[in-house]
Amino acid sequence: MMASQKAMLHRVGLALALALLLVMPWLLGSYQLRLFTEAVIFSLYAVSYNMLLGYAGLLSFGHAMFFGWGAFSFAVALNHFPGIPLMGAVMLAVASTTVIGLVVGVLLLRVKGTPFALLTLAFNALVFAIGIKWHSVTGGDDGLSIATPALNLGFTDLVVSSGPNFYYFTLVIVGAAIAFAWYFTRTAMGQSVLLIRENEERMRFLGYNTNVSRLILFVLSGALAGLAGSFYAILNSFVSLDAVSIEMTTKVLLMTFIGGTGQFLGPVAGAFFFTYVQNFLSDLTDNWPLIMGALFIAMVLWVPGGLAGLAAKLSGGRKDDDPDGTLAGME
Amino acid sequence: MGEAAVFFLHGLAYAGLLFLVSSGLTLVFGMMNVLNFAHASFYMLGAYFAYSILCFTGNFWLALAISPIILLVIGAFVERFLLRKVHVHGHVHELLLTFGLAYIIQEAVKLLWGTTPMAMPVAGFLAETVNFFGVVYPIYRLFIFCLSALLGLGMALVLFKTRIGIIVRAAVDDSPMVDALGINVPMVFMGVFAVGAALSGFAGVAAGPLLSVFPGMAGSILVDAFVVIVMGGMGSLGGAVLASFIIGELQSFGVLLFPDFSLALIYMLMALVLVLKPEGLFGEKQ
Repeated sequence: MMASQKAMLHRVGLALALALLLVMPWLLGSYQLRLFTEAVIFSLYAVSYNMLLGYAGLLSFGHAMFFGWGAFSFAVALNHFPGIPLMGAVMLAVASTTVIGLVVGVLLLRVKGTPFALLTLAFNALVFAIGIKWHSVTGGDDGLSIATPALNLGFTDLVVSSGPNFYYFTLVIVGAAIAFAWYFTRTAMGQSVLLIRENEERMRFLGYNTNVSRLILFVLSGALAGLAGSFYAILNSFVSLDAVSIEMTTKVLLMTFIGGTGQFLGPVAGAFFFTYVQNFLSDLTDNWPLIMGALFIAMVLWVPGGLAGLAAKLSGGRKDDDPDGTLAGME
Repeated sequence: MGEAAVFFLHGLAYAGLLFLVSSGLTLVFGMMNVLNFAHASFYMLGAYFAYSILCFTGNFWLALAISPIILLVIGAFVERFLLRKVHVHGHVHELLLTFGLAYIIQEAVKLLWGTTPMAMPVAGFLAETVNFFGVVYPIYRLFIFCLSALLGLGMALVLFKTRIGIIVRAAVDDSPMVDALGINVPMVFMGVFAVGAALSGFAGVAAGPLLSVFPGMAGSILVDAFVVIVMGGMGSLGGAVLASFIIGELQSFGVLLFPDFSLALIYMLMALVLVLKPEGLFGEKQ
């Protein structure tokens, strides 16, 4: 197929997908729409995680600390500053997650490979412990209820806490964040992180400050996870410690890996797959995590490229960023 | 003074458990660069198996003997049929595999034994107390410490006084070279992995009567064991001994002195070690 034809096909596909996303509220009932919105939010969470795992080759077991930090700081902002505009609270959440990402990143990026993976887990446990102990701010085991304020559009106030309005609000903001992440991976900055994963020494010889590049990616990834966390808080009108738990980290790991780390849209596919399969399985059995875990192990053993890798293999086309799902950069 | 002694002994008991769990973890990491997330799950399984054996037979010693043997078999199986298969894909996949395994064991335990914590009573002289330097102290905690000291000594003897020990230590140091000398390194690795699982199983059986048996027990010791091997230096047995002792005592006295910050203390100490000596107390510079 000619390159121009292929680009044309991509453009048509993209337009169709966008149109489908826009008419979703007419196609789905309110329960199904809520599920779909949840999958969109988790897509951003998984995409942000894959910036670490897929692009930088950094295996983190502590991504929920950013997701949860975003969710909690959003809720705290709403509860402690009455009258704060909705977008103000979201921005405050993202900003505070950025600061935390910077602090944690400076400390953790001193080490690489397995010690890094292990320390992210320890930091996640620390943030979780703060969540339990700092009862006056986080509500501890009780969590925090929030009342999402209306979105001020200048000419009118729009209630966006649920239903189609929340779906469109999510689609615009979260969609923009995912698009930004995609754009970032295409910039010279984003590409340099990919190259550092492949051969850090060489990149250093070429004059790149690899530590700074990695730190920027780490902070950005954390900030996007924080944004996903604050939308998760709006979705549930409630924040509990579940948002910052190891289970939430496990969730994003399963989503990303099942979807495939080698391609940008892999984690999005994984987030949708996970959300819908979990919803389906939890109707059938309380032991759905067992099935999900078995599926994950089966993927690790036999389909290391994930769903996206499988699709690429079946279609025989598109070169994978990471053909065998073999992630470099781990010593 | 009496109170401090009691807390010191409490710390020793926990340090013993930590050492049993982290020694296998650190040796396996030293040999194959694989951090086994499921290692603490072996500890939990050890406790649950012991609980069931205790329910059927009522004999604690039987549980202490059989449960680690079951874990030895499980460990060998996991290494041979799961871990070795993903070895070619690199370390990320090995980590992910053990992570998935830990997740599955967690859920399987909830399915088989339920989620409520279960008490695991010991009978006979273990349930009694002893007058120890003027302090009345439960024998069982001393027993835990003695058990882990004995197992630790046994491990040290095997590692430093036998031919198998030389091979294992050499493989921790430089496994490709040992492989080149004609020694079956994958076999050695399987053995170390299985023995590590069995040691974890011992720790699990010992922890059951002390901490009760519950599905969260794997997660709670996992993070502590990670801190131990990072602090001690990954692959170093001596480091694991020292770091287990430090963490155990810190836990114990932390709860006594600063009940709200005991957890943070451990992380602060770990952060300090990482900043001053990133390779750990006994670790080698890479």
